[in-house]
Amino acid sequence: MAARPVVSVFGLNGSKLDATVPLPSVFTAPIRPDLVQFVHKNMAKNRRQPYAAKQQAGEETSAESWGTGRAVARIPRVGGGGTHRAGQAAFGNMTRGGRMFAPNKVWRKWHIRTNSNQKRYATASAVAASGVSALVSGRGHRISGIEEVPLVVAAEVESLSKTKEAIALLKALKAYADVAKVSNTRSIRAGRGKMRNRRHRQRRGPLVVFAEDKGISRAFRNLPGVELVDVTRLNLLQLAPGGHLGRFVIWTQPAFEALNKVFGSQTEASVQKKGYTLPIPVITNPDVSRLIGSDEIQAVVRPSGPKNMRRPFAQKKNPLRNTQVLVRLNPYAQVLRRAELLGKNKKTKKYTHKKSASAKFLQILKAD
Amino acid sequence: MNNDGIVWEVLNNQFCSFKVKTDLGNLCRHPYNVTGRCNRRDCPLANSKYATVRERGGRIYLCMKTAERAHIPAKQWEKIELPKNFAQAIEVIDKELIYWPGWMINICKQRLTRITQYLIRMRRLKLKNKTTLVPIKKKLERREKSREIRAEAAARLDQSIEKELLERLKSKAYGDQPLNVNESVWKEILEGDAVEAESDVTTEDELEDEEEYEYEEETAGSSSGRLAREFVADDSDADDSDAEDGDDVEDDMEDFGDMSPSDFSSADDDSASEGEDVNDEDDSDMDDSDESDSAKKPISKGKRPAAPAARPKPAKRTKKHGPRVEVEYETESAARDTMLTNW
Repeated sequence: MAARPVVSVFGLNGSKLDATVPLPSVFTAPIRPDLVQFVHKNMAKNRRQPYAAKQQAGEETSAESWGTGRAVARIPRVGGGGTHRAGQAAFGNMTRGGRMFAPNKVWRKWHIRTNSNQKRYATASAVAASGVSALVSGRGHRISGIEEVPLVVAAEVESLSKTKEAIALLKALKAYADVAKVSNTRSIRAGRGKMRNRRHRQRRGPLVVFAEDKGISRAFRNLPGVELVDVTRLNLLQLAPGGHLGRFVIWTQPAFEALNKVFGSQTEASVQKKGYTLPIPVITNPDVSRLIGSDEIQAVVRPSGPKNMRRPFAQKKNPLRNTQVLVRLNPYAQVLRRAELLGKNKKTKKYTHKKSASAKFLQILKAD
Repeated sequence: MNNDGIVWEVLNNQFCSFKVKTDLGNLCRHPYNVTGRCNRRDCPLANSKYATVRERGGRIYLCMKTAERAHIPAKQWEKIELPKNFAQAIEVIDKELIYWPGWMINICKQRLTRITQYLIRMRRLKLKNKTTLVPIKKKLERREKSREIRAEAAARLDQSIEKELLERLKSKAYGDQPLNVNESVWKEILEGDAVEAESDVTTEDELEDEEEYEYEEETAGSSSGRLAREFVADDSDADDSDAEDGDDVEDDMEDFGDMSPSDFSSADDDSASEGEDVNDEDDSDMDDSDESDSAKKPISKGKRPAAPAARPKPAKRTKKHGPRVEVEYETESAARDTMLTNW
């Protein structure tokens, strides 16, 4: 980046203030959807609670197979008598009341460890993606009325304490549509989760990031879908919910300015993450198709061949029998073959057996 | 930062809220998409330089997006209203999108063509006086039909007509020597006048008769809320509500011509006019024969069958001719008033 772009700050009434903040370097971090998805998948597993079948489930019988000769399947059967259960199959995963196949164990590895650097890279990517309006609206946030992306609000917001004020602010920023979307999409979950304390489902609203909580959390926390987070504790699960990049984030000015300390830059180490610098992209302009199509490259590229290559041959021809193919493989063969043919003719024509040596030869031979 | 290639990679491979997967391929629900398809070229999100033609409220706009405004979602699209003249609109597109990719210009023009075509078609259709199809709701139809029948029966038009006519005779509206009147009826009326002149005091019996008569008249012909319920006991819950009663009253009143429910609010004032209206309507229908038989026989118009239960009443009345009875049971309040006065 030659000159760092500058982001305007919005006041409590939604109007643009004179103050501006230079764009933190995080927003220029490479956006890596693959990495974000990988890290998100791992991080999402860290909140799990173990589940398992009862250890002795299906095995609390003394069933034994009846063996052959009784006109029944050889599966172990419950012994005894006087009850329905007697003679019923047991123990198999296919039997009724039997143990399941590979019973779940609580010692399954529920939590996944991810490399710190990967986690930081993913978070940086997610923050960068939140600064791309196309990604934010593609993710489904209603930001068509927003004045600027990333959206930075003045520091006074951190001192808000009434939800009414929070709503007024969101409406002034034209960000309330996203909150309204959340309440409109609140519905009862399909499936058993209904009766497992996961009754309702709703979309996600804006993520409000602050630097210091002077009441802001109390103002915004009751709004449906709105999440609050300290800038020093940015969470990938909130920045890229579901592993999908582009959460709508509302930054307070102090939080926005603090991002440089949190993430540092590609050259300058971060203050919060000791010794960490932002990842350097492998390719500075990732839009490969545009690069290829650019004038600079097209000017030096050789002309392309036919779009559909013709097949070299449909029928393989033996070079030992087909001269053309032979010559294609070995061009000198033509010369040899020609010479051969000529020599043959010559031979037949010119070669004559001599009965005696020539006179000159005899002269030389006899000369002393 | 904002990079078209990355945006496309994310939206195509991860998630795009506008993408719709169908058998015909992926479609795009984004309102600014120029073709409606979801592909690298047509995605309004993955192309920082983009143009569409959109129609809002009959007006056609050329909408353009450039990379310079990529970070301002509120002002991202530059809308230019295209002239109504098609050729001029094409020219405007050519002028605004000069040096833009050729395919984009062509698609915008195609879209403009299609939009103008359908707008023309819409305007033409509007002028066509298209008949609207209204569904027949079986339950509703059945309910209304049966209500009409019941209301007609409850109204006892024939009785009210008879009463009205007799009243008019009595009140000498037709003069001292009316024409086409049954002799016996006329005589009774005259006698009735004489009797009335004699005694103003009404005996108990007469009172009882009156009450009975009144009561029965009311039950028979009244369309007042309370009594109507008894009459229509089989109906659904809807009848119990006031709104439905209002409707009932309206339905009942359909036979009485174009009268709004507001007319019923001041009953006494309008009762006479109502009666007259009723009379006029029925007068035109009825013939001489009907009039002569009005007192004795039940009037059965060709359309509806005579309700047998109600028939004894008129006969009883003519025989036991008590003091002049004023009965108005067309309206709820009127009936009540008369009931109160005659207690």
